[in-house]
Amino acid sequence: MSEVNKSRRDFLAFSGKAGVATLVAQAAGINLGIVDVVKAEAGGKVDPFRFAIISDAHLYSMDNHKFDQQLIDAVNKVNSMNPKPDFVLFGGDVAQNGTEDQLVKGAEILAKLEMPMKIIPGEHDWYLDMGEAWRGLFGDETWSFNHKGVHFIGLNSILVEDFWTPAGLSPKERMTVMEMLESPIPGPWGVHEKQLEWLAKDVKDLPPSTPIVVFTHSPLWDYYPRWNFQTSDAPEIREILSKFDNVMSYHGHVHQTLYNRIGNMSSVAAMSTSWPWPYPPVELAYPETRMNRADPSIATDGQGVQLINLSENFEGLVEYKPFEDSLTPFMQDGFKV
Amino acid sequence: MKTRIAIRRALGIGGIAVATVVAGTVFARAPFTEAELQQQMDTLYGVIQTGYDLWHGSEPSMTSNGLACANCHPDTAASNPQTFPKYQTMYGKVVPWQEMVNWCIENPQLGERLSPESDQMTAMKAYAMYLHRGLPIEPGLASEQTAAVPVAFGTGFKREPTGLGVDTREYTPERR
Repeated sequence: MSEVNKSRRDFLAFSGKAGVATLVAQAAGINLGIVDVVKAEAGGKVDPFRFAIISDAHLYSMDNHKFDQQLIDAVNKVNSMNPKPDFVLFGGDVAQNGTEDQLVKGAEILAKLEMPMKIIPGEHDWYLDMGEAWRGLFGDETWSFNHKGVHFIGLNSILVEDFWTPAGLSPKERMTVMEMLESPIPGPWGVHEKQLEWLAKDVKDLPPSTPIVVFTHSPLWDYYPRWNFQTSDAPEIREILSKFDNVMSYHGHVHQTLYNRIGNMSSVAAMSTSWPWPYPPVELAYPETRMNRADPSIATDGQGVQLINLSENFEGLVEYKPFEDSLTPFMQDGFKV
Repeated sequence: MKTRIAIRRALGIGGIAVATVVAGTVFARAPFTEAELQQQMDTLYGVIQTGYDLWHGSEPSMTSNGLACANCHPDTAASNPQTFPKYQTMYGKVVPWQEMVNWCIENPQLGERLSPESDQMTAMKAYAMYLHRGLPIEPGLASEQTAAVPVAFGTGFKREPTGLGVDTREYTPERR
């Protein structure tokens, strides 16, 4: 038995019942109650529901690291929502250094969610073992499902060209390079050809009126490439999804509140549960969706979770739920996308 | 008589001026040569490199929980060296930038503070100042977030490390 499988077995033995069911189902490619086996119907009507987003936990290996509690706080915050969201999307970067113990710790905490969860990877989860431990815990990184009339798509957007083999880097060195936000070495991330082909096939038979939600770690627009606040093949993704009336893109990675709209696609970022990032020196199209500058003396300022309410007509009410008072008046009651 | 005095004064002033120029060419240091300037800048870049490394966690004593300055401040963004000294609520007084760095080392990073006069602190300040070059000095600015100098938007990435970990070395800010 590989170390990954052994650890996963240990983890499953440790986990609570609901968490085990979720994980086993995910590993088997089953999506529990969130799967609507019927394809999204023509007409684009949604049976209104809400889902939550948690993102960027960046767990370290130390016991009782403050980020552990912050992820626990996020899970508790979602569990205490009334009514509860139908499911949770996790936006990547469970771990900081991609080690198995960090990923297992994250899976243990996330198993406490009282609703199903779907997850896509971040670069911090991936580049130590190229996703082996992550896949062992969370299943496939590319997925889609239908829920109450909405077609949800998850993509792995943190793929880069092989820079490590020519340089003779070890897995740990590769991970170290990828951990650095402003590293000039790896180049821009993307979903790459195979996932583009998968995406085109996935949506091929869906009518244009189908409500679409696409979920990635990095934003599907050119926000600030230096920090990989971008996805290099986002134009191709947007082109594939251009036939739809309305597409919502949700993403992690940027650790801040953020909104943008390009063509038929709205784009909403998730706050992290670990630390907030400053806004890069870029003029925003919708600057009113910026959060207040975080106060460094308040350890959890500028972090939190998200709640998305989808209406019958596939309008989204985005509600940021920060741990502290991080939102400007414009953001207090949420905004429509 | 008056004319003679005026001529003498003029000659005296002129003589002083001439003497100053002559003395200047003999005793004053000539401007730095291009090679010397390059050497000075290379020395500075070396210190900035050290600052970059420290910012990204090269000194273990600066953290006990794995966090480095760069976790929250990529490219030194929002470290705002050009706004110090300024009032910091956690101190209840006006402090220099170095003290704010030490606050971050001791609190979010749970590490051991550096001497404000140490070469390590100088290196980190050199790195942060370099990435804020050209921005106006505005002591006390606290409510707004400032970012480091921008990197050309959408131009992609260098494939080789620049040493500074940044590709902003080609960026020349507008002189104010």
